[in-house]
Amino acid sequence: MSDPVPYGFSVASDKPFLIGLGVLGGSYLLIIAAMVLADLVFLNYSDQPVLGPEMVRQGRYTGGDVTVPVEVNRNYYFRAGKNERGLMLSDQRTITGGLFEAESGEVVLRPREPGKPITASLRPEARVLGIAVTNHVATLTTDVAHGLLWGEFIRVSDAGEPGWDGVREITDTATNQISFAVVGAAEPAAKLSLSKPNPLVQALRSRDIRFSIKLSLISCTLTTLLSLWVAVPIGYMMSRFGFRGKPLIDTLLDIPIVLPPLVVGLSLLILFRYMPEWLSDAVVYKWPAVVLAQFMVACAFAVRTMRVTFDQIPQRFEQVALTLGCNRRQAFWRVIMPQARGGLLAAGTLAWARALGEFGPILVFAGATRQKTEVLPTSAFLELQAGRTEGMLAVSLIMIAAAVVVFIIARTLGMKRIFA
Amino acid sequence: MIALENIALRQGSFELSDLSLELTAGEYGVLMGRSGCGKTTLLEAICGLRKIECGRIILGDRNVTELPPAERGVGYVPQDRALFPTLIVREQLAFALVLRKIGQAEITRRVDEMAKLLGLTALLDRMPGKLSGGEAQRVALGRALAHEPAVLCLDEPLAALDEELHDEMCRLLERVHRETGVTILHITHSPSEAKRLAGCHFRFADGKVTRDG
Repeated sequence: MSDPVPYGFSVASDKPFLIGLGVLGGSYLLIIAAMVLADLVFLNYSDQPVLGPEMVRQGRYTGGDVTVPVEVNRNYYFRAGKNERGLMLSDQRTITGGLFEAESGEVVLRPREPGKPITASLRPEARVLGIAVTNHVATLTTDVAHGLLWGEFIRVSDAGEPGWDGVREITDTATNQISFAVVGAAEPAAKLSLSKPNPLVQALRSRDIRFSIKLSLISCTLTTLLSLWVAVPIGYMMSRFGFRGKPLIDTLLDIPIVLPPLVVGLSLLILFRYMPEWLSDAVVYKWPAVVLAQFMVACAFAVRTMRVTFDQIPQRFEQVALTLGCNRRQAFWRVIMPQARGGLLAAGTLAWARALGEFGPILVFAGATRQKTEVLPTSAFLELQAGRTEGMLAVSLIMIAAAVVVFIIARTLGMKRIFA
Repeated sequence: MIALENIALRQGSFELSDLSLELTAGEYGVLMGRSGCGKTTLLEAICGLRKIECGRIILGDRNVTELPPAERGVGYVPQDRALFPTLIVREQLAFALVLRKIGQAEITRRVDEMAKLLGLTALLDRMPGKLSGGEAQRVALGRALAHEPAVLCLDEPLAALDEELHDEMCRLLERVHRETGVTILHITHSPSEAKRLAGCHFRFADGKVTRDG
């Protein structure tokens, strides 16, 4: 005989389990929030000065402090590196970064460890020497090389003449010159200040990025509609009917999810080599390729979601509808689809979000041509390639904003369904 | 009437063959059998939701063996009721009538009539999620009866109801039967329920249906 159950039977506390759930889930949530927050915080939202060339020579701190000659009464921008304690100005003040006005002919770099490399940056602020206007185009001459590029934007302020102040697109550059259009005014301003607008303004003003925002929004929406149009029938078929070869089809449907996205792009590219010429001419490296590349991956997720949705709706509803006088089509539209609205919304949101983030297949199958097949992830990639981390971050923020807006819309529509 | 003539059914490894049953028009038949003996499968076959291997099914005075469920003229109340979750009670009752395109005025009249018969008048604008068990059962009954089918198939209609509602529901079923004259096939696993309801009794055991007088 086994021992009787002791009278004072007690069950262990639930606390460790619940705390475990909280800690694991909470840490993930924390990382998500911190990730987005870091993006938002990292971006410099204020205007930046237009700076000339680097003045600190590369090398090592051989004998302690390094003296850098500067021009009196000129603005300089200093940024300390890993190995600097700061920059000592003439009034014995030590700064670690930012804009300052030189009061004497030299400043001193203070190293943390002598013998290690110099990592600081000191650059003069560009000064406008000459202002000329021909045919509504202003040409400014700066005293140092400004490093601005064609297509970038510049903020003009304190001009004192109408038609000058504001953000202007640079239409031409030379080492010491920039040109941009002024509005109406033919009067040359006597003086003005220049600054670089923050990367978000730059990105939102850029024609390339405006195009890629537009293309992204349109292609994602198109992809979503196409995906739902395909995913609803496939999901319903897979959920309701048994037929020979169903496991095979099930596997096929998962291929775009399992395959690396880049391979999907490559496979599409190769597939279109076998297509008639007019078709591949119309698609490959053109905007339809963007939609097709997005669709191939996004649709697989939509199909999964729709199938689960239909699986969760018992067949009993259709059976009752059939006895009440429906045929299969009527039962589907009158009884099943109204119940599948939440799933449809989820599938659509998922497809949209997938399509927005799609990069690899688009790069391979549609290319990265500016103003032609450039979508937001491509923009971010091109910005990164050009060495503009801030620009990339700005594009990323635009994508985050687009995703958030779509999720809010989807949630609101979902809410309406619940509260109706 | 309901007549099953030597039908055979298969569901996975589960097989029934040579089943016969006859219920004259306007009768209240109670089919009793243990859980899992195939009662629901049999009902589904009558409603046309499950293919039969052989045999004939006659409902009213028509051979419906080859007809789709929509054209068989049956009302089906499944055990879980399966009220359409997105439609209000009024729409549930009107569902079959709308499909038959009989005109809005006529639909309204018949829905009101059905609501009165089943005591649903106050509930017509409710969503099914806000109904109690007994109310949901009455809506499911009304939905199945609205298009005036010749035959009503009830799958364990009283199973999920408490004792008090049980009795009320029995009385309601008898009243519906009396007022509409529909042929009812009611399946249950409870002998006491079978005893409580008038009409002719069938016993379903060992793959055979026998009439208990």
